[in-house]
Amino acid sequence: MKKLRALFRRLTGLFTRRRRAREFDDELESNLQMHIEDNLRAGMSPDEARYAALRKFGNATRAKEDAWEAWSFVGLDRLWQDIRFGLRMLAKNPGFTAVAVLTLTLGIGANTAIFSLIDSMMLRMLPVASPDDLLQVKFRVPDRPGEPSGAFTNPLWEQVRARQDVFTDVFAWGEANNRDDSFKFDLTKGGKLESAHGLWVSGSFFGGLGLRPTLGRLIVPSDDQRGCRGVAVLSYGFWQDHYGGDERAVGASLSLGRHSFEVIGVAPPGFYGMRVGENFDVALPICSSALFDEKDSRLDDRSWWWLHIVGRIKPDISGAQVSARLAELSPGIFTTALPQGWDRDGQRAFVKRRLIAVPAATGISGYGLREQFGRSLAILMAIVGAVLLIACANIASLMLARAVARQKEMALRQALGASRTRLVRQLLTECILLSSAGAVLGIVFARWGTALLVHSISTTRSTVFLDLSPDSRVLGFTALVAVITGILFGLLPALRSTRICLTSAMKGSLAMQTDRSLRFRTRKWIVVSQVALSFVLLVAAGLLLRSFAKLVTLDLGFDRNNVLLVSTDLKAAGVTPDLQPAIDESIETVLRALPGVASAGRSSRTPMEGGAWSQPITSEWSKDLSPEEAETWMNAVTPGYFEALHMPLLEGRSFASADTATSPNVAIVNQTLAYRFFPGHDPLGRVFRIQQSSGEYGPPIEVVGLVKDAKYEFVREDTHPTAFFPVSQFPVRAARQTFELRTALRPSALIPAVQSAVSGVNREIPLEIHTLAEQVDDSIVQERLLAMLSGFFGALALLLVMVGLYGTFNYMVAQRRAEFGVRMALGAAPGSIQRLVIRDLVTVMAAGLVTGSCLSLAATRILQQLLFGLGPHDPVTMISTAAVLSAVALVAGYIPARRATKVDPMVALRMTGRQDASLVEAFHHNEDSLSTAWGFPIESVGMTLIPPSDVCPTACGVRELAPAVEVGSSLPADGPPASWRRAERSRPGGIALHKLVAPPCRVKESVHEYVFSETILDTRLKSRVLKSSNRVCHFRCQSFYLTCISPACPSLLLLE
Amino acid sequence: MGDKVDVWQGTLALMVLKTLETLGPLHGYGIARRIEQTSGRQLLINYGTLYPALVKLEQEGYIASEWGVSDNKRKARYYRLTRAGRKQLAREARDWQQANAILARFLSPAEGRS
Repeated sequence: MKKLRALFRRLTGLFTRRRRAREFDDELESNLQMHIEDNLRAGMSPDEARYAALRKFGNATRAKEDAWEAWSFVGLDRLWQDIRFGLRMLAKNPGFTAVAVLTLTLGIGANTAIFSLIDSMMLRMLPVASPDDLLQVKFRVPDRPGEPSGAFTNPLWEQVRARQDVFTDVFAWGEANNRDDSFKFDLTKGGKLESAHGLWVSGSFFGGLGLRPTLGRLIVPSDDQRGCRGVAVLSYGFWQDHYGGDERAVGASLSLGRHSFEVIGVAPPGFYGMRVGENFDVALPICSSALFDEKDSRLDDRSWWWLHIVGRIKPDISGAQVSARLAELSPGIFTTALPQGWDRDGQRAFVKRRLIAVPAATGISGYGLREQFGRSLAILMAIVGAVLLIACANIASLMLARAVARQKEMALRQALGASRTRLVRQLLTECILLSSAGAVLGIVFARWGTALLVHSISTTRSTVFLDLSPDSRVLGFTALVAVITGILFGLLPALRSTRICLTSAMKGSLAMQTDRSLRFRTRKWIVVSQVALSFVLLVAAGLLLRSFAKLVTLDLGFDRNNVLLVSTDLKAAGVTPDLQPAIDESIETVLRALPGVASAGRSSRTPMEGGAWSQPITSEWSKDLSPEEAETWMNAVTPGYFEALHMPLLEGRSFASADTATSPNVAIVNQTLAYRFFPGHDPLGRVFRIQQSSGEYGPPIEVVGLVKDAKYEFVREDTHPTAFFPVSQFPVRAARQTFELRTALRPSALIPAVQSAVSGVNREIPLEIHTLAEQVDDSIVQERLLAMLSGFFGALALLLVMVGLYGTFNYMVAQRRAEFGVRMALGAAPGSIQRLVIRDLVTVMAAGLVTGSCLSLAATRILQQLLFGLGPHDPVTMISTAAVLSAVALVAGYIPARRATKVDPMVALRMTGRQDASLVEAFHHNEDSLSTAWGFPIESVGMTLIPPSDVCPTACGVRELAPAVEVGSSLPADGPPASWRRAERSRPGGIALHKLVAPPCRVKESVHEYVFSETILDTRLKSRVLKSSNRVCHFRCQSFYLTCISPACPSLLLLE
Repeated sequence: MGDKVDVWQGTLALMVLKTLETLGPLHGYGIARRIEQTSGRQLLINYGTLYPALVKLEQEGYIASEWGVSDNKRKARYYRLTRAGRKQLAREARDWQQANAILARFLSPAEGRS
C-alpha cells in the first residue's frame, strides 16, 4: 500500500517535478533566511550570520538531487539520456552506423522471415472464437501404428453428429470436388480453366467456429439438408477480387462447374479456412455436393473419405474425457456406417476403429504442409540464426575497433565520476539502438522476403496460401532477437572498452597501445568463431546444393524437356461417359496433327503429378513377396505416351489399335516390375493379375512390352514396379485425361494452337496446360527452396566472414604500424613482415576450420533426411568448403599483409614519435616507480615506440631474438657476448636484445658499437646515429623500444 | 561539531513525526530547530539530510505540506501530520519503546558488573 502510494507519487511527480524543484528552491531559501534572521537576533554580524547559516545548511545541491530522485524514476531518466547520447554518437559515425544497421537488417530480417513462416504454418491460432476449445475428431485403425486418420465418409459424419454428447457444436468440412485430387470448381465454361477453391461445410460450420458474416448471412443448419438447392458463401478475398467488394454480390448467382449457386453472404476477412497453407474461395453446404455427383452421391458413399470433423468441447470436460467418450461411441458409429463392399476381414477391422480427439486450435495441417516443410524450416531457422551470429561477430569486431577510438572519451567520463556499470549500460544502449534499427528495417525486409518465399514454395498447380501479416508473436520474436543481438555484439566490446587504466589513458595515446595485444586477441577469437560458424553453414549449404544438383541431373527415365501437358475435364464440359473415349481420341488426333508437335500421347496420369494409382499384383514368382513389395504403380496410356516422353521400349511391342476393351488384357511393364515379378525370365508373354480391393485377383494380363525404368511420383523415390495398360482396357479417370505433346519448338509457344484445336473439338472443354519440366520442378520445390536459401545465406556468411577477416587484419596492421616500421628500419625484409601477418591469418583460419569441421560433423546429421545421393559427412563438400573458406581468407588477409610491407619506416617512426612526445614526458614522471619495478635505476629515457606497460622487466623478446642472452644481465665490459653475434648473424632481420643497465657508461661504447656497427640498420639511420658518437641506444625486440641513455639521443634525430 | 551524535537511520523520520505531533504544522527550519532543542543540542540536524526525509515522508503520505506565512511574515512551507502519519507515529513509537526496553535490560546488568 505504502509502496503503491509512493509509486503513484513518483508517477505524478514525473509531470510536476519541475514545479516541485522550483518550490523546493523557494523552500530552502526561506529556511535559510529564517536561520539568518535567528543568527542576527542572536547578535551575529550580517556576514557572520549568513556564513554560519550556510555552513549549517550542508550540501544543498545534494539535498536537491536526492529530492529530485525521489520525485522521478531515475532509471527512466538515465535511459532517455543514454538513448539521446547513443543517437548522437551513432549520427557522428554514419559509416559505421550504416554498415552495422545494414548487416543487422539482413541478419534480423532473415530470422524474422523464417520465423514468420514458422509462425503462420505451425503456431498461429485460427482466427475464430476461442480456438483452444476446438478439437479435431480422428480415428485410429487397430493394429496399425502411426498417425490417426482424420478423413471421414458422410455416413460416418452423420453418425458422429447424431451420437456425440461431448461437443457443444460439431461440424464437418471437405475440400475435394470429385474423386480426383482436384478440389477446384470450374468458374468458366470451357477454354482456359479458371477455378475457385471450394469448401464443403456442414450447416453448423460457421456457427460452431463463432464467425460473423461481413455481408449477408453465413451457411446455417437449415441450408444443409438433403436435397438442398445451392447456396454459396464467398470468402472475403474472393469477394474483393471477383466482385470488387460490391455489396450486390449477395443475391447474385454464381456458376460453379455448370451449376448455379445463389450467393448468400461473405465470410469475415482473416478467415482462410481450416487448413494451413490454403484458402478457400466459396463455401457450399455439404448437401449440395449431390448436385455434382448425379447418381453416385458421396452423401451415401461409405468409402468416400472426404470430410474432416471438428468439435467445440463442452466447458466442463477435458480432452481426455472427450477421447474416452468417443471411443465408447465408436463401435456403434462404425457399425452403422459399415462399407458394404468390403470383405469380411476388412469389415471386421472397420468396426474396431476408435475415435479420438486432438487439439485443433492452430488449424489442420494442409496436405502435409507442416510435416513437409517443418524440418526444412527448422533447418533454415538454424541457418539464419548462424548468419545472425556471424553478423554479430562482425559488428562486435567493429565495436571493438571503435572502442579503441573512444578510449579517451571513456577515460574522461570515468574520471568525471561515471561508474563502469553506467558506461557499459550506455554502450549497450547504443548497441540495442543499432539492433533495433536493424530490426525495424528487418521487418520490412522480412515482409518482402516471406512473400517471395511463399511464392517460391507455391507451384504452378497448387498455390500455398499463408496468412503472413505480422502478429504479436512475430513482432515479439523480432524484438527479442534485436535485444539479444544487441547484447551479444555489444557486451564484450563494452566490457573491454571500459576496462581502462585511467591515469595512463588520460595521458594520451598511451593506453591505446597498452591494451593492443589484448584487444587484438579478442578480435582474433571472434574471427575464429566466425570462421567456424560459417564453415558449418557452408558445409550445410554445400550439402543441400550438391544434393539438389544430383536431383536435377538425375536420370528420371523420361525426357522432361519440350513436353507440353494438356489436361482436359470432359465431365465438366458435360460430356457423357459413353462419348468420352471417342472425344479423347479425336482430341489426340487433332493435337498430333498440330504443326510443331513431334509426337502426342494420352494417359490417365503423368510423372511427378502428385498422387499415384497403385495396387498389388501377383505372378507365378511373386508368392514370397510382401504386400508392400507386391504393390505396383499403374497408368493407362496410349502408345504415343512412350514416344512423347522418350521412354524407350526395350523389348516387345507397344499398344496397338487391336488392343480394345474386348481383346485380351495386355500390359507394358518396366524393368523393375519384370525383375521383381519374373525374376530370371523374359517377361514377354508372361501374365500377372491385379489384386482387387475385395482381395480377389482380376483376370490375367499379358505382358507385351518392356520399357526402361522411370520415376513415377517423386524424383527421390526408388523406382517402383510400374505397369502400363492401354486406355481402352482401363478407362480409369476417363473424364480427366492428360495429353502429352512432344514439341519441336518451345512448348509454351504451342499453347494458343492447342487451345484452338481443342475448342475445335468441343468448345466447352476446360483445359489446364503446363510443361512437364514445370511439373518435375514443382515436385522438388522444397529441395530447390532449401538449396537456394542455404546457398544464399552461405554466400552471405562468406561475405560477412571476408569483411570480418579483412577488417580485423587491417586493424591489426594499422595497430602494428610502428612495430613494422621499426622492424623494417632495422632491416627486416618485406617478406618477413608479410609472413608475420600471414602467420596470424593461418593460425586463425586453422583454429576456425578445425572447430568448424568438428561442429559440422555433429550438426549436419540433421540434414540426413533431406539429402539425396550423398551422406551428411560428404568429404568432397567438407574439403571444398575448407578450400573456399581458405581462399576467401587469403584474399581478405592478403591486402592488409601487403599494406604491412608498404609501411615507410621513417614515417612510422616519426608518427609514433610525435604521438608519443607526451609519453616521454610521462615516462619521466614515473621514473621512480618504474625503476623500482625494473629493479635498477634509470639514467634517462629517450623515445619509446611501445609504451612502458609492454616494456616490462621480463622482456618478451628474449625467445625471439637473442636466445643466449639472459635478461637483466649486464653487458660485459669487453663487448657483447659471442652468442649475441651468433644470434644476430643467424637472423639478419632481427634486433639485438638488451635491458637497461646501470651505470650505462660502463657498457656504452660496446653497446654502441655492437648495435650500430653491423648491417642491421638502414644506412640512413646508421649514419645519423654514428655521427653522435658517444650515445648509447638500446633496442628491444618485439616490444621495440628504443631507448637512449645520453640526453641528446638519436631518437631526437629520428623525431626531427 | 565534535560531540555530534549521529542520527540513526530511520529515527529522523520518527523525530520529525513526533515534532509535528507536538507542535502542529511547522516549517522545515522549525522542525530542525525543535529536534536540536529537544535533544539538548546533542543532535545537530543537517538540512541536507532533513529535506530528503521530509520529501520521503510526504511521498509515503505521512505528512502533507502547504505554503504559509511564518511568524516573522516570511513565506514558508508548512508540514503537518496526516491521519496515516499519526498512526505510523504511534506504531513506530511503540516499536522503539519496546526495542529500547529490551536493549536496556541487556545493558543494565553489564553495567552493574563493571
